[in-house]
Amino acid sequence: MITSLANWILTFDILSGMGSSVAWGLSLFVVAALIFVFVAVNAIVLVYIERKVSAFMQVRLGPMRVGKFGTLQTVADALKLLQKEDIIPKMADKVLFIVGPWVILVASVVTFAAIPFSDTLLAANMNIGLYYIVSISSIVVLGIVMAGWASNNKWSLYGAMRSAAQIISYEIPVGITLIAVVAVVGSLNLQTIIEAQGGTGNLFYWIPIPLPNWFIFHNPFLFIAAFVYLIGATAEINRTPFDIPESESELVAGFMTEFSGLRWALFFLSEYANATLVAFLVAIVFLGGWQSPFADYEGTQIGFSIITLVAIMWTLFVRTKTGRLSVYPLGLSFVITIAVWLFPGFAIWLASPGIFWMLMKVGTIIFLLMWFRWTFPRLRVDQLMYVSWKVILPLSLINLMGVAIWMWLTGEIQF
Amino acid sequence: MTEQEIYADLSKKFGDKVIEFMEEGTLNPTVVVDAAAIAKIVTYLKDDERFQFDSLMNLAGHDGDVEADLSVIYHLVSTELKHYITLKVFTSRVEPKVASVAVIYRTANWHEREAFDLYGINFEGHPDLKRILLEDDWEGYPLRKDYVPAEFYRGMRIEKVK
Amino acid sequence: MGRLNAEEMVLNMGPQHPSTHGVLRLKLRTDGEIVSHIEPVIGYLHRSFEKHAENLEYQMVTPFTGRCDYLAAMGSEHGYAMAVEKMMGIELPERVEYLRVIFAELQRIASHLVAVGAFGLDVGAITPFIYCFRERELILDLFEMASGARLLYNYIWIGGLAHDVPPGFVEKTYEFLDAFDERVAEYNQILTGNKIFIERAADIGVMTPEVAINYGVTGPSLRASGVNIDIRRTEPYSIYDRFDFDVPLGQGLQGTIGDSWDRYYVRVLEMTESAKIIRQALDQLPVEGDVKSAIPRRIRPPKGEIYFRSENPRGELGYYIVSNGKNVPLRLKMRSPAFSNLSVINEIGQGWMISDVIAILGSLDIVLGEIDR
Repeated sequence: MITSLANWILTFDILSGMGSSVAWGLSLFVVAALIFVFVAVNAIVLVYIERKVSAFMQVRLGPMRVGKFGTLQTVADALKLLQKEDIIPKMADKVLFIVGPWVILVASVVTFAAIPFSDTLLAANMNIGLYYIVSISSIVVLGIVMAGWASNNKWSLYGAMRSAAQIISYEIPVGITLIAVVAVVGSLNLQTIIEAQGGTGNLFYWIPIPLPNWFIFHNPFLFIAAFVYLIGATAEINRTPFDIPESESELVAGFMTEFSGLRWALFFLSEYANATLVAFLVAIVFLGGWQSPFADYEGTQIGFSIITLVAIMWTLFVRTKTGRLSVYPLGLSFVITIAVWLFPGFAIWLASPGIFWMLMKVGTIIFLLMWFRWTFPRLRVDQLMYVSWKVILPLSLINLMGVAIWMWLTGEIQF
Repeated sequence: MTEQEIYADLSKKFGDKVIEFMEEGTLNPTVVVDAAAIAKIVTYLKDDERFQFDSLMNLAGHDGDVEADLSVIYHLVSTELKHYITLKVFTSRVEPKVASVAVIYRTANWHEREAFDLYGINFEGHPDLKRILLEDDWEGYPLRKDYVPAEFYRGMRIEKVK
Repeated sequence: MGRLNAEEMVLNMGPQHPSTHGVLRLKLRTDGEIVSHIEPVIGYLHRSFEKHAENLEYQMVTPFTGRCDYLAAMGSEHGYAMAVEKMMGIELPERVEYLRVIFAELQRIASHLVAVGAFGLDVGAITPFIYCFRERELILDLFEMASGARLLYNYIWIGGLAHDVPPGFVEKTYEFLDAFDERVAEYNQILTGNKIFIERAADIGVMTPEVAINYGVTGPSLRASGVNIDIRRTEPYSIYDRFDFDVPLGQGLQGTIGDSWDRYYVRVLEMTESAKIIRQALDQLPVEGDVKSAIPRRIRPPKGEIYFRSENPRGELGYYIVSNGKNVPLRLKMRSPAFSNLSVINEIGQGWMISDVIAILGSLDIVLGEIDR
């Protein structure tokens, strides 16, 4: 993408005077800035969505006053944080205190360079894309331990230690699960992984239900692997039920306790950047990335009609606790169904792969993560370790073997 | 068993350590005993088969009047046999000393600390007798009838309540 | 505290902490994550209630009793009123007795909702806390209808009530009861059976009956250890002997008897039992009766002393009152249940991790206002 942007810059008459390497350097900065802007805007939007989602799950409204329906709430929060006094405790280790949050943020943002947003939008088409992401995102541990140690606060230290143990333990099953997918594709390149998931096929190769060729439907072991990866990833990003490091009711804010103002905003940014990264990885590796679930525009028509029928059944037979009909799913799917039948152009656009489907999938996974957070209590540290080493790790190893055996059974590989 | 019977048994066993049986002036019949012997009496009440007073519900200090003796009252309950008894000890104001029952009933640990904190009653044999509700360096025993607060506490003036 | 080993760390869960249910300070001596000694330091909320009561007339003490246990104010006022009435030998009209029972049981439900929700909050489940408070709002609306206040009422006076309940109260209470039973099923769905919650609460902080009785623990924490003592049954006061209700005991359904899960579950079951009592009381509520007819003009109990016990949501609330014939009590001691309940934490909290200590503290359900008075 950087080269194409550079070439595009050079096509302008005024700018064609600069050399190609200058144009290349300029487009490098532009792309990097775009990625950072994406991460920042993403965090702002996600904070608002999390507050609204959690509010609706808890029978309350969430932010409603700042902007219509509270949409400007995060902007107000960001402004507030920016103008806060920067307090560094007297006995804190100054260098680590300042550097710690930046390490976390940088490690989280840099991984986005390898993420393909669509078939053309990709900052760096690396052959080792997946490997790059997994390894850079584990530098986050370093930042957390720096932050916890530098705070000169026993509670922060506890939080940092717990977090380090947790992230390191869950790296392994996460890595092994991803290797299972790499075994199917044969490449670490993320674009290749997505392109291998095009078209439609049968569920689990033999069950004749036509589904898109995403890896989650490819074989049952990859289906399990998707959920194993989701659990491991929730632990990687320190979210409930694995949010011991920042467990609010025990350690106030864990390793983030002593940070205020902009530094705390950095932690927050990096938490949502990590969550988005994990969601992107699930979408890319298991859910087909920017591939659309419909093969062609007729597929959209049939698909959405089925969805509307299901929504009608739901509305007729399922009631909310207070007895009201839940009409939103029905209304939305009905509108879209009418649109795809009436406007083939819209249907074609909907059926085509691209950034729209990528963001849809990422949004679903993030919603799932939020759902987990507000439903489950949190696990204790040793229970967390137990789950990692004695449950998730053996499961992921068995998965790996299972994937290989399945592929031999279906004839995709020969020994 | 009724309180009368318990009193009769106690005065038979402990003789002059059991001072009197108060029935009027209280809605819970009370046995008044000697302050130094309370621990032994309470152990007897706890271990004996017929009484089985395994629970101390309340332990409170009391100051009747500016010149009177301080007293401590014990409300015992038996969870098995479902009967109750109240014991009371009196001790002098100048050097209040009562045997501690904290080792026998762990409830008494904190209740005796509170009586010490508010009345200044010294419980001999208590594992860790120090103030519990007030600051560790507070002067005086507030719930006594002749308590006059000091002028200052750690440099802050103590306001007089009109 | 003794000498500190080289590996041990003294950790202070200070007076300001999200999980200590008030201003409580816990001095923890830990070896890594395992706690070896807990020393609670209390007194941060001491407001000299007992000394103050020696200067107030008997009827003026009523609002202050509510402020001690601010989550169960009706229960505190009820116990105090009954203690003084017993000293004076006052007979109450039937309507007053029934209304008092209704309010005491509504207060029990409200207090248990906070206990259950806050326990979920301590182990990390934030949503059930909000659900519990949604129900609590309904109860507080009922209290506001009757007494004018949501949290601290000054409603149960010596000899009667401050004023009668307004019309529409009985219907609204029936509405609340109808909505409440299925809500309890909701809590069981989201929290009680949740695997993670069970792992955090079951087998944690087991309290054997001997330890519980020796430390003077009462109320749901005692009943969770299997000891069947409920003052409403063993020494029935007011008109509790007319109602048909069960006393839930801990049975170790998910772990050992007397663990934190049992203490939590006993409270959930007690809420249903209280709803039963309220329904029966509403059905039997006499329509006639003046709630102020038995209030004496001058409250001057005869010389003497009394120790009166009642069942607070937290346990046995005892009032030891000494009167010397004046209209001001000579001595008023409130034996608060949370005071003894908290003292057991060193015994059952040793050897567990810090997260477990917080769970144990949450399951004991303490209110610092009543510990410190």
